Amino acid sequence: MAPTLEGERPGMAAVDEGDPPRRGRRQRSRSDIVERRAAHLFLAPWFLGLALITIGPILASAYLSFTDYSLLEAPNWIGWENYDRLLDDPRFFQSLKVTFIYVGVSVPLQLAFALALALVLDRGIRGLAFYRSAYYLPSLLGSSVAIAILWRQIFGTEGLINRVLQALGWDSPPGWVSTPEYSLWTLILLHVWTFGSPMIIFLAGLRQIPRMYYEAAEVDGAGRLRRFFSITIPLLTPIIFFNFVYQVIHSFQSFTQAFIVSSGTGGPADSTLFYTLYLYRKGFGDFDMGYASALAWVLLTIVAGLTAVNFVAAKWWVFYED
Amino acid sequence: MARLRNAPRHRHGVKVALLSALVVPMSLLGACGNDDGGSDGKVTLRFSWWGSDTRHAMTQKLIDLYQSKNPNVKIQPEYTDWNGYWDRMATSVAGGNAPDVMQQETKYVREYADRGALLDLTSQLQRTIKAADLDPLVKDAGAIDGKTYAIPTGVNALALVASPSGFEAAKVGLPDDSSWTWDDYVKVATDVTKGSPKGSYGTQNMGYSDASLEVFARQRGESTFTGTGMGVSKQTLVDWWTISEKLRKEGGEPPASLSVETQASGLDGSLIGTGKGAMGFWWTNELPAISEALGKEVKLLRVPGEAAASTPGMFLKPAMFWSISSKTKHPEEAAKFVDFLLNDPAAAEIILSDRGLPVNLTARKAIVSKLTPADQLSAQFMDSVREKVAPPPALPPKGAGEVQKILQQINEQVLFAKLTPEQAADEFLKQAAAAIG
Repeated sequence: MAPTLEGERPGMAAVDEGDPPRRGRRQRSRSDIVERRAAHLFLAPWFLGLALITIGPILASAYLSFTDYSLLEAPNWIGWENYDRLLDDPRFFQSLKVTFIYVGVSVPLQLAFALALALVLDRGIRGLAFYRSAYYLPSLLGSSVAIAILWRQIFGTEGLINRVLQALGWDSPPGWVSTPEYSLWTLILLHVWTFGSPMIIFLAGLRQIPRMYYEAAEVDGAGRLRRFFSITIPLLTPIIFFNFVYQVIHSFQSFTQAFIVSSGTGGPADSTLFYTLYLYRKGFGDFDMGYASALAWVLLTIVAGLTAVNFVAAKWWVFYED
Repeated sequence: MARLRNAPRHRHGVKVALLSALVVPMSLLGACGNDDGGSDGKVTLRFSWWGSDTRHAMTQKLIDLYQSKNPNVKIQPEYTDWNGYWDRMATSVAGGNAPDVMQQETKYVREYADRGALLDLTSQLQRTIKAADLDPLVKDAGAIDGKTYAIPTGVNALALVASPSGFEAAKVGLPDDSSWTWDDYVKVATDVTKGSPKGSYGTQNMGYSDASLEVFARQRGESTFTGTGMGVSKQTLVDWWTISEKLRKEGGEPPASLSVETQASGLDGSLIGTGKGAMGFWWTNELPAISEALGKEVKLLRVPGEAAASTPGMFLKPAMFWSISSKTKHPEEAAKFVDFLLNDPAAAEIILSDRGLPVNLTARKAIVSKLTPADQLSAQFMDSVREKVAPPPALPPKGAGEVQKILQQINEQVLFAKLTPEQAADEFLKQAAAAIG
């Protein structure tokens, strides 16, 4: 029914080219050199960017995290003082709590939603291309400033949602973005809404599963649920794993939504104080860039640690076909 | 054989390509850097301010006027709203890319001056920037240890802005502001809410307004900051937050979440500006914008508690300052431009009272007749309180800008009853001390 995407997998194509068919020895080495040079040449701007824009600042921030750098004055070495201060900083722990809740709740929800929709779309409905694009759209818009502003309006005390609730008979519903108990949940909802990009990846993954497995299972009398849990899920685990790792890293770095919805404060009452938002306030509001650098390194350690755990745990649940 | 012959050609080609791969981005980077426009003999000054759309349009007029008078100078404007302004300023100063002339504010003068980012204007004040006409009361408000880093643009006072139509709708009489106390304020606000249709309130929560705290502290002979640390006592903070708490519990101000939202939406979305509230604390130069937003006349009231206070709480504050970057390549041209902003009669006619009543006393007299009714009201108000107000506060220490954010954050905890006024006062003093430490 649905056309397979065989041969369109970019990963496979790259591997093929890296392993060219045997040629004559002399010819091969010459073209090798040329190709290698060409490759280096084309990569040079990227390497330059990596060194200047990524690695340089990373190393600089490692150094700055041991200084009292104020952004305006020259930094002075103060050893581990910034890291010591972290332990007595209640707002640091608050920001960790907020971020962990955000990641812990929104990533599984988002992936579940993405998978569910991918399954629906995979059944080959008419106008698939349209739906695919339509559902992907929020992914492109989700972290934009405009959407965050819109979100603030929709979930405000007198916003769209409350107008509807009032029409349904709830006398005075709370302001969802301006009440500490609910504000983080509106941001989680916003994140879940950006299910488009994992959905597209799931959809591609579903297309890779050979139909003959399902046909064979059907012949053996396996029901729909059985087929889903015994064929779809196991064969999809590499994709689930990729999406999960990627989304965890991505959502730890969320910033724009909280910044806009709370007007840059992480409020009300620190309920949306994302880690990155606190880091930003410390560095650029409080002129405490040394401390902010230490915060950045703690975040890096946490994310790297979690990713490592994910990769180790993957051995037990991710199933690679080959 | 073929390989040997071909190798040099390849190497050469690769070298050229590699070099250009390096050079092209570099030159692009270079092109983004500072452009002094030196090629045609013109001096370019970058000029930054924060404000509303009205101010942006008005300031552009100022720039056009200056450029027509000084064809050798090009002024490059950079403007944002209040919140974005300081984040942007921090990064551009840190990047060695500070604007030549900048609008400054009390809470940030020391932040930048102590870190060597502002030019010492003391010698300029004797040569290029004429100081003879500047209001002696605030002229030196931007000085640290005898060195002037910032010159006030004008003066302001915090007032309680009241909407007569709001009071009328609630059938409550306007309070007598010559004698009223903070208890009266709570009572009046509560009465207004009771008498108003649902969704309208007596007053807006004042807990966000660091200026209202300053007035409150001054009435008790304290101030929020000393030059080096925190000056406000715990008891003062407790009493100040208790007023807010009472207002919220008795209904004089809206529920907590609405308070959070109105605060975030600034002047245009304020309770009084949208006709949903009868009172609120604002600066006198904001009066015209409030009556414009409301579309009705508003009144200025003296802050409650003044009559009974041991020392006057209301004060004339430098509305904002002009400063010059210490890194400017054209200190003389920048100073000339600041002189124009402060002393040029034509400039004063454009600015009117948007940056406070002009600090230049001659200009202040000249523009009074040209002011809008709302502006005239604020000028009269400031004249009437002038005798009874205290001199402007000392420049607060470094970190004062962040203390404002801390105050807002703790106030939200009080609003949602997560902290009692007692706990809030302790927490605020602790965090504020760390921020300015």
